[in-house]
Amino acid sequence: MADSSGTTLMDLITADPTPATSSSSSSTSAPPPSATSSTSLSSTLGKPATEKKSKRATLMQIQNDTISAAKAAVRTNIMPQKQKKKPVSYSQLARSIHELAATSDQRSSQRQLVQHVFPKLAVYNSVDPSLAPSLLMLNQQCEDKSVLRYVYYYLARILSDTGSQGLSSGGGIPTPNWDALADIDAVGGVTRADVVPRIIEQLSAEATNADVEFHARRLQSLKALTYAPSTNSDILSRLYEIVFGILEKVGDPSQKKKKGILGGKGGDKESIIRSNLQYASLSALRRLPLDPGNPAFLHYAVLGISSADPVAVRNALEIVSEIAARDPYAVAMALGKQVQPGGALQDVLHLHDVLARVSLARLCCTISRAKALDERPDIRSQFNSVLYQLLLDPSERVCFEAILCVLGKYDSAERTEERASGWYRLTREILKLPDASSKESSKDKSQKIKRPQPLIKLVMRRLESSFRSFSRPVLHAAARVVQEMGKSRAAAFALGIQDVDEGAHVNTFADASDLNDSDESTHPESIRRTSSVSNGTAGRDTIAGMLASLMEVVRTTVACECVYVRAMVIKALIWMQGPFDSFDELESIIASELSDPAWSAGLLNDVLLTLHARFKASPDMAVTLLEIARIFATKVPGKVDADVLQLLWKTCLVGAGPDGKHKALEAVTIVLDLPPPQPGSMLGLTSVDRVSASDPKSALALQRLVQAAVWFLGENANYAASEYAWESATPPGTALMMLDADKMVAAASSRNPTLAGALTRLQRCAFSGSWEALTTMAIRSGEPFRLQIYEFLHTLAQGGLQSQLSDVHLSNGEDQGASGTGLGVLLSPMIKVLDEMYSAQDDLIKEVRNHDNAKKEWTDDELKKLYETHERLLDLVSLFCYVPRTKYLPLGPISAKLIDIYRTRHNISASTGLSDPAVATGISDLIYESSKTPAAAEPDALDDDLVNAWAANLGDDGLWGNNAPAMNRVNEFLAGAGTDAPEVDEENIISRPSVSYDDMWAKTLLETTELEEDDAKSLGSSSPDSTGSVETSISSHFGGMSYPSLFSSRPNSYGADKASRGSGPSIYEGISSPIREEPPPYSSPGMYRNESFENPLAGTGSRSFESQDDERISSGNPQFGSALYDFTAGGDDELSLTAGEEVEIEYEVDGWFYVKKKRPGRDGKMAGLVPVLYVNQP
Amino acid sequence: MILAVLFANAEGNILIKRFHGVPAEERLHWRSFLVKLGADNLKGVKNEELLVACHKSVYIVYTILGDVSIYVVGKDAYDELALSEVIFTITSAVKDVCGKPPTERRFLDKYGRICLCLDEIVWKGYLENTEKDRIKRLIRLKPPTEF
Repeated sequence: MADSSGTTLMDLITADPTPATSSSSSSTSAPPPSATSSTSLSSTLGKPATEKKSKRATLMQIQNDTISAAKAAVRTNIMPQKQKKKPVSYSQLARSIHELAATSDQRSSQRQLVQHVFPKLAVYNSVDPSLAPSLLMLNQQCEDKSVLRYVYYYLARILSDTGSQGLSSGGGIPTPNWDALADIDAVGGVTRADVVPRIIEQLSAEATNADVEFHARRLQSLKALTYAPSTNSDILSRLYEIVFGILEKVGDPSQKKKKGILGGKGGDKESIIRSNLQYASLSALRRLPLDPGNPAFLHYAVLGISSADPVAVRNALEIVSEIAARDPYAVAMALGKQVQPGGALQDVLHLHDVLARVSLARLCCTISRAKALDERPDIRSQFNSVLYQLLLDPSERVCFEAILCVLGKYDSAERTEERASGWYRLTREILKLPDASSKESSKDKSQKIKRPQPLIKLVMRRLESSFRSFSRPVLHAAARVVQEMGKSRAAAFALGIQDVDEGAHVNTFADASDLNDSDESTHPESIRRTSSVSNGTAGRDTIAGMLASLMEVVRTTVACECVYVRAMVIKALIWMQGPFDSFDELESIIASELSDPAWSAGLLNDVLLTLHARFKASPDMAVTLLEIARIFATKVPGKVDADVLQLLWKTCLVGAGPDGKHKALEAVTIVLDLPPPQPGSMLGLTSVDRVSASDPKSALALQRLVQAAVWFLGENANYAASEYAWESATPPGTALMMLDADKMVAAASSRNPTLAGALTRLQRCAFSGSWEALTTMAIRSGEPFRLQIYEFLHTLAQGGLQSQLSDVHLSNGEDQGASGTGLGVLLSPMIKVLDEMYSAQDDLIKEVRNHDNAKKEWTDDELKKLYETHERLLDLVSLFCYVPRTKYLPLGPISAKLIDIYRTRHNISASTGLSDPAVATGISDLIYESSKTPAAAEPDALDDDLVNAWAANLGDDGLWGNNAPAMNRVNEFLAGAGTDAPEVDEENIISRPSVSYDDMWAKTLLETTELEEDDAKSLGSSSPDSTGSVETSISSHFGGMSYPSLFSSRPNSYGADKASRGSGPSIYEGISSPIREEPPPYSSPGMYRNESFENPLAGTGSRSFESQDDERISSGNPQFGSALYDFTAGGDDELSLTAGEEVEIEYEVDGWFYVKKKRPGRDGKMAGLVPVLYVNQP
Repeated sequence: MILAVLFANAEGNILIKRFHGVPAEERLHWRSFLVKLGADNLKGVKNEELLVACHKSVYIVYTILGDVSIYVVGKDAYDELALSEVIFTITSAVKDVCGKPPTERRFLDKYGRICLCLDEIVWKGYLENTEKDRIKRLIRLKPPTEF
């Protein structure tokens, strides 16, 4: 783009316009370098107002300095490789305005202003309030319309809040904070506060000027006035006064004005002026805050619907429909006859303004659904009929809006009943065309052409034709409508609206619309299933048939080039997918889509969130949705949000019901079966079950996903399999010791295939840290699972099983660890626990036998010893995972009776109490608090299911209501919120060379593993807040991976301190030495691996945020710098600097640093953006 | 609500930006996102062919006109189709002012007038005037309907 190098924003404000224009054809000839324009300007025209000069000069000096510095930054930012060219500075422009304002009666000054000064001023971000006096002077004295138009434009910009919510005008050149500048200028700078009242004064005077010749200016001053800060109630009430004053004069709905409608030129001067004024005041009113208590709003807005000006009609309708949302009854009454044939609303149907008709659709929808109008069905049906007419609108925007209204989607709130009845309406109602709308009998009259049409037929036809469009927005919107249709349909099925019979012939409704309520089939599901199978024969006239043909068209749309359209199509398909439909087709579509690298992480996660929403709408879909989620896990492990995916596993597992649980677990375990990513391999692309992680980043992400799955299995396998040691009647495992491994596996899988499957999978990925998960399972499960795991861990620790574990090679390609040197240390505490349990069980059996043989009663001492062993083992076990203390019997079922005897004898309650080491170390506070399960405190009241669910961290209160980040994301998605900017993917940044957020983020992810070791050692103690991360980091250390929300991303010596201080010697004695010999970061976390305690839904929330923050800071190697020059913030996001000030650089984005100061500056701000060039990096 | 209107040149430098209802700290992000979107997708696209994107509940429609790419971001009533109307109005106004699909030079020559047009088209986050002739009258300080 060599020839475009001469054309940038800077050029626009460079020099005088003449050479620039002449060089427009050959832009290579650079305009003469100049400060010329301004100097020549001031020399030819300069008659500055001398008394103000000195003051202004100081101000200008400051401005000049700031701006030229700012420009230096901008120049390097926007056009790095350009030769130097001195642009016209802001202060030069400002001076020109002051000078030219004084001579505004001269033609040449006017021309200068319009052609040169004003356009260049537009380039700047904001306008200096000190220009206001000159602008106001121009406004009063100048006659030239072009000058005046600019004057209104700039006055509006001064009025508008350029701050947080205002319209920040202007292009790429930032301007300083003028008010701050004026403050600094002790001589008396001009601030907004000084000039705004004056501007408002003058504009209000103009807006109320009734002179006919003046009326075009009235319109512009009204418009400019709407930019005044609406937080100021004085100004606001004044504005209302002006606007309603005008409306009162012009708003009289005299019949003669009707002639002017659409005629435009035919109208007389007076009525045209009136409609112009009505337009301006309604437009202004639309921009002012709505005051529903003020009846004038509704009154004038309703009058405005009959205005001759189409834009006025649109604004009026928008106001009315907004009021209708709050008070439909009043609006319906006020509209009165307007809705009837010949009324103003009917005229809107033919108005050439799309948005006006959209507002009409919303208005009609609100009123026709209003509960307040239940007693006026006549009014409701009138509005309904207008809504239905809009279904035939030629504009897609209007038609789609009408469809959405019919479907019950008209605001962001989702009400299932509303949606369900929307689907009912769509499938059942008959559109009677306008002529036939008055009487039912007219149905017969116009049978050929105007035969009443079933709504659904019309809608389907319209959608199908939209899908043939070439316009991407149309395709996107159509897919969105189909998605909304799917939502309404799902709602209808969820509520079991029996009449939704998709197999029935729609024309039967048309013919017998009055009596079809009773005689339709009552088995929609079965019929739908059969009919979707026999689509070919069902014909096009059943709902199922029409849906099938629509979906056919929708599916072909995945061929669209635009990934966003495809994403919307996939969402639509997911929503239209029923729980009992075959989903092969959808599966293959999604699988092939996900292989496309064009999908951004944001989009993929959006689809993943859609799965959540789909599940919420119909829990029956759990299994299908898990299968879909599986495709995500295998295809794009690097891009999906593992937290959100895991939440989906969890919710689906709970929702899957008894039959689905096995399948649900399968869907998770499949992740563990994935072979390691092979660099550069493209083989996996077509198969769902092969992973495609061909770059290090996705390999890393896959590893994280595997860890998530391992953790998930360990936590939830027992829940899914409904297998618990404390519910098992199987005797302790000693008897099984005799069996060989094969027989044991057979016994296990015949007993509980789900658990056995999970176990096998976990064993195979032992190197992803699955021993923790396995231990959890061993402790929670009865035999033979516990024994099986015990054996496995044992061999693993000894390293003797390597040959049998050839899968290990597959599962992570690393085998040195299995020699026993590395793992033995890690595994020994776990093996120790199981050892202790088994030997105690053996002892108990021996004792029991002895007592039986000798026919001796158990003495109190013996019982006491037994009880102490029981408690000690419980404490031990509790360190590994949650078990219900009242029910769990580490000594096996036979111990139950004896312990019970001892307890009753000594009056010991079985509550957890303070003896629980978890309580002693303070961890349980956190856990109980976060899971909010009262059951923990009152063990006697434990309900079996609740215990088991809680053991799996699935307490029902945790499902949708707490603060985990993934949960937030899901909830936010369900609520349809979010205008925050999307993150830009870190790959393929082509346009901007500077480092973006995500790059930094990706870097931090990679760097943490190195840093965390150092951190762990150097951090003597951390804040009490970080108790949350007192769990293991074995896995994160071992694999060098971290999974932030599940495992703490950095080991924390705090846990070790706390443990040794708080838990007393007994525990350590109990499990003895190896722990102590280990280096600190490994040992105590290994023992205190307590994350399984927590409800991950609740507990990880704050923690994962924390750890992310930590990582960002810790890994970023905090960079410090100092300010080279003074910098004045030009906007809210910027930070003022004083030269020499020390700052911490957080990140860089587009030529700006985000920095933090040590102390807040003059403006009280600590952090913000500053130009890169202003900061000296050491 | 129309959240943003953005003009950029072929290199991704911003020529005009107007935000409404976007928190200040989000603007820079939006800007980078839009520019990247354009860089990824606008190559070889015909003048005025509309492209679409969305993020959460926000819609984006963008296109290219001569050397200039135009982005419009909206939510609620301003969905992809309403934004198409907005962008159509903007492109026809720009073409009208520049006489044809503009080169960057020409766009900058007409910068002031384009700003005025935009001022008449998007007013505090809502679409206002859509007719080309009406806009032309209004930026010359003439009443919307002449008598």
